[in-house]
Amino acid sequence: MTEGRAGFRLKVLAVLVAGMFAALSTRLWYLQVLAAERFRREAENNSVRLIEVPAPRGRILDRNRVPLVENRLSLVVTVNRQELGDDAESVLLRLSELLGIRVRVLAERLQDPRYYPYQPVPVAQDISKDAWFTIAEHPEEFPGVDVVETPVRRYPRGRLAAHVLGHVGPITAEQLDQERFRGYDRNDLVGQAGVEAVYERWLQGREGIVKYLVNAAGEPIRRLGERPPVPGDDVVLSLDLGVQRLVEQALSSGMEHARAILDPDTGRYLQADAGAAVVLDADTGEVVALASRPTFSPSIYQGGLTTEEAARLERPAAHQPLFNRATQGAYPPGSTFKPFVALAAVRQGIASLSGSYPCPPTFTVPGDESGTVFHNWSSSDYGYLSLASALVVSCDTVFYRFGYGFWQLLPPAVQGLTQVARPDQEVLQRELRRFGFGVAPRLDLPSVGSGLLPGGRWKFETFRDDWQRVDPFNRCIAYWCPGDYVNMSIGQGYTLVTPLQLATAYAAIANGGRLCQPHLGLRIERPLGGGRVEVVKRIRPRCRRIRGYTPEQFAYVRQALAQVPVSGTAASAFAGFPLDQVPVAGKTGTAEVPPHQDYSWFAAMVPADDPRYVIVVLVEQGGHGSTTAAPIVRSIIEGLYGLPSSGFVSGGVTD
Amino acid sequence: MDLVAGRTFPAERRPLRHLDPVLLLVAVALSVAGLFLVYSATHQSLRALGLDRLTFVKKQATALALGAAAVVVVASIDYRFAKVYAGLVYGAPVLLLVLVHTPLGASSAGAQRWFQLGGFQLTPSEFMKVGLIVMLAAMLSEVRSEEPSLQDVLRATAAAALPMLLVFLQPDVGTTIVLAAILVGMLVVAGARVRHLLALGLAALVLLFGAFQLGVVKEYQLERITAFLDPEDAPAAALYNREQAEIAVGSGGLTGRGYLHGTQTNLDFVPEQHTDFIFTVVGEEFGFVGSLGLLALFALLLWRAVRIAFLAKDAFGTYVAAGIAAMLSLQMFVNVGMVVGIMPITGIPLPFVSYGGSSMLANSVAVGLLLNIHMRRLT
Repeated sequence: MTEGRAGFRLKVLAVLVAGMFAALSTRLWYLQVLAAERFRREAENNSVRLIEVPAPRGRILDRNRVPLVENRLSLVVTVNRQELGDDAESVLLRLSELLGIRVRVLAERLQDPRYYPYQPVPVAQDISKDAWFTIAEHPEEFPGVDVVETPVRRYPRGRLAAHVLGHVGPITAEQLDQERFRGYDRNDLVGQAGVEAVYERWLQGREGIVKYLVNAAGEPIRRLGERPPVPGDDVVLSLDLGVQRLVEQALSSGMEHARAILDPDTGRYLQADAGAAVVLDADTGEVVALASRPTFSPSIYQGGLTTEEAARLERPAAHQPLFNRATQGAYPPGSTFKPFVALAAVRQGIASLSGSYPCPPTFTVPGDESGTVFHNWSSSDYGYLSLASALVVSCDTVFYRFGYGFWQLLPPAVQGLTQVARPDQEVLQRELRRFGFGVAPRLDLPSVGSGLLPGGRWKFETFRDDWQRVDPFNRCIAYWCPGDYVNMSIGQGYTLVTPLQLATAYAAIANGGRLCQPHLGLRIERPLGGGRVEVVKRIRPRCRRIRGYTPEQFAYVRQALAQVPVSGTAASAFAGFPLDQVPVAGKTGTAEVPPHQDYSWFAAMVPADDPRYVIVVLVEQGGHGSTTAAPIVRSIIEGLYGLPSSGFVSGGVTD
Repeated sequence: MDLVAGRTFPAERRPLRHLDPVLLLVAVALSVAGLFLVYSATHQSLRALGLDRLTFVKKQATALALGAAAVVVVASIDYRFAKVYAGLVYGAPVLLLVLVHTPLGASSAGAQRWFQLGGFQLTPSEFMKVGLIVMLAAMLSEVRSEEPSLQDVLRATAAAALPMLLVFLQPDVGTTIVLAAILVGMLVVAGARVRHLLALGLAALVLLFGAFQLGVVKEYQLERITAFLDPEDAPAAALYNREQAEIAVGSGGLTGRGYLHGTQTNLDFVPEQHTDFIFTVVGEEFGFVGSLGLLALFALLLWRAVRIAFLAKDAFGTYVAAGIAAMLSLQMFVNVGMVVGIMPITGIPLPFVSYGGSSMLANSVAVGLLLNIHMRRLT
């Protein structure tokens, strides 16, 4: 038996051991009783993986339900960074060789912060079947590399309507914070432009989820459950594939032709480097065709825009192909503005449908000490003209006088340049706003431009500083002066409109006075399988009668403009056109945008007696209205009505 | 039946009649529990590999059978023979520890630790523990004075230092710590002076610091220890083991997720689970109740060991039993402590429970010695 001191020391040992048990039990109590819930959750997170099954995105169809954007399956290479192992570099090297993508690019894509470490990162799209087999047959050479079939966008018509359709792209960090993207994941693809963006919530669908039990290596062990994906809804557009194709071809070839024309004003060939065209249904505001030049191929966004492609798009010589000039480009309307000024003048008693007005070569504001001379586009004296004739020959001096008439309607203090007019005191602008100028049309595309309808307040705010700096005695730098109205009356000065705004306004003339908000979406269809669809939403036209005008006044303007291709400024461009079969009402416009060559406008309504379509074409640096824009509109009309094509008939130098 | 010089005893003093059944039963219970836990830890991955799901269990059962035989043999021969042959008991594993560094030894994860013998691995460091206990007990029991002199302490330390150095160089920090604990535990029970012990501790610290500075310690060991001290700054791999172990134990909750139903266990989230991290299986599948149950078995085992140290007929027996108690308690504490996150990660198996034949065999020898001392306390 051990006794005494050894016994005491054994007890010390025993106490130490007891202490160990106490420590372990305490810790176990904490882990398994107090914090058990948290660890249970962590174990759950460890072992349950949700694998997302992408929902096929809805298609975008034209008004006859012909697909403009649909889906196809693409072979996508994904890399799981956790499974790459120590030999990541040589795996990437082999992949690079197989796919013909630089290692640097692959490595860059692998760094994508939008993916969690355990998530496979897509690094290459649309790989060949051969490459797929190579990867599948040599898993040991490609650890962590997988090939999955992923639905991606397909553009069966190539570049057609690129600006309208838009593209899908990875959701951005800012979007993730927005209310409308709640429930989206950071690696989701969303519509980033065009119809894809506006109808995102319909097109997206809901991704399916498969719940897997996985082991520590992330390999699925068992399927725990699933929620099948819900495909996105189809969006049916008012766009007519045939008309769209026709318009794009006419615009492109018209610009091409224009570049062979010598511009008498500058002595150089016309640049005609950009343009836009809009075709609206005159009664409903439905957009039948909408084009912008230069354009791009939406498929460049497939798998993310590469740096080279982005650089190519941003080159100055590329003329901003992504910019939708039809809806965002703001240009001086030039003489295409005159019908609206005329209508406003009639309403305000400045002009009347039965009156006649002198059309001299020049105009000077009465009482103007500086003696600034405003010229007509033509140096001949046209004598006295009816309002209709003034429109047909586009007499500037008649409209200068109307512009001055609106000046005289301003309150005396405003006329005395001591006070800035309130917007409601500016009668011409108030009337023009009724036609949609200065206001962004509520088109279902992102960032639709509002143009610019300037007034006293705008001018003062914009030029106050210049005025004080340049010449405090010249109040006309900052205050609205008669010359501003004179310029506005012929669509020059500070006034800017978008091609879409102009088309919308002409549609109001065409349909007898209803301003219809233009729209692209016709309806949303939900595929039910078996080719049946359920219409989940119809997009109705939003039209409002413009008050203060009579149908007779609009009919008068239409009839006047119907003479433009006959005997007016567009007569040469419409030479030989069967106007007796298809009467055309239209108005040329030549916008001066120094230091550039003139911008060419033509706005048309066909058929003139009961218009169905409104067509607006703008060509930047395309010369006079009849030089480039009118011939393009003519080809469009020929196409629309199945008339024999007369090629490109450029008109003479008219306004 | 007794082999010592063919002596005969009165019936009531026959060693077999004084077997410690509690000790034996506890050791068997721990080992059998070990078989079940090893099965739980390994069957899924074995099945995934297309192997026999009982591969590990069968090997461990074989080791257990060998261990049982070892218990019988060791218990049969009077433990006092061990004192006579202490040199051999100590020298043999020391020699093996040297040989393991030759090409005869096998290595894994940068460590040179065992001999491959057919399907089994012989790990000399496991037997070194028992060898050292016997050697130190033999040396300390020869001390005639009331407390060991500085010379005695130094001699004992030297005897421990040699195997510690060899094991440390493998490198196997865990076993080095266990050997140190055996030395300290036995010196304490032998009555070494506090100031001698403190001096020893100081010397150990200086040596350890030197070893770190000279880079003798391998990087992964440093990482594991720094991961313990400073989890914020540790490499992910070093943190992974401890995180997964804690998740496994914690998710077990009060009563566990049920045998073979732990997800951490079934899905291989805990590395080295059938060896060093076997306790996570108990924690996850049997919960707090099961964990305490297993700890209770160890408490019983250690209680019996300490009690045998008390009851031993001679100082050698006391020291051997105390050494075994020190060894088992420290292994248990460091192993479970590491699993639950209060000790750094060092590769120490849980006695009787962890998968590993050498450990099983060495622990069986220890149990045999304890039974032996208990049986012969009266003769």
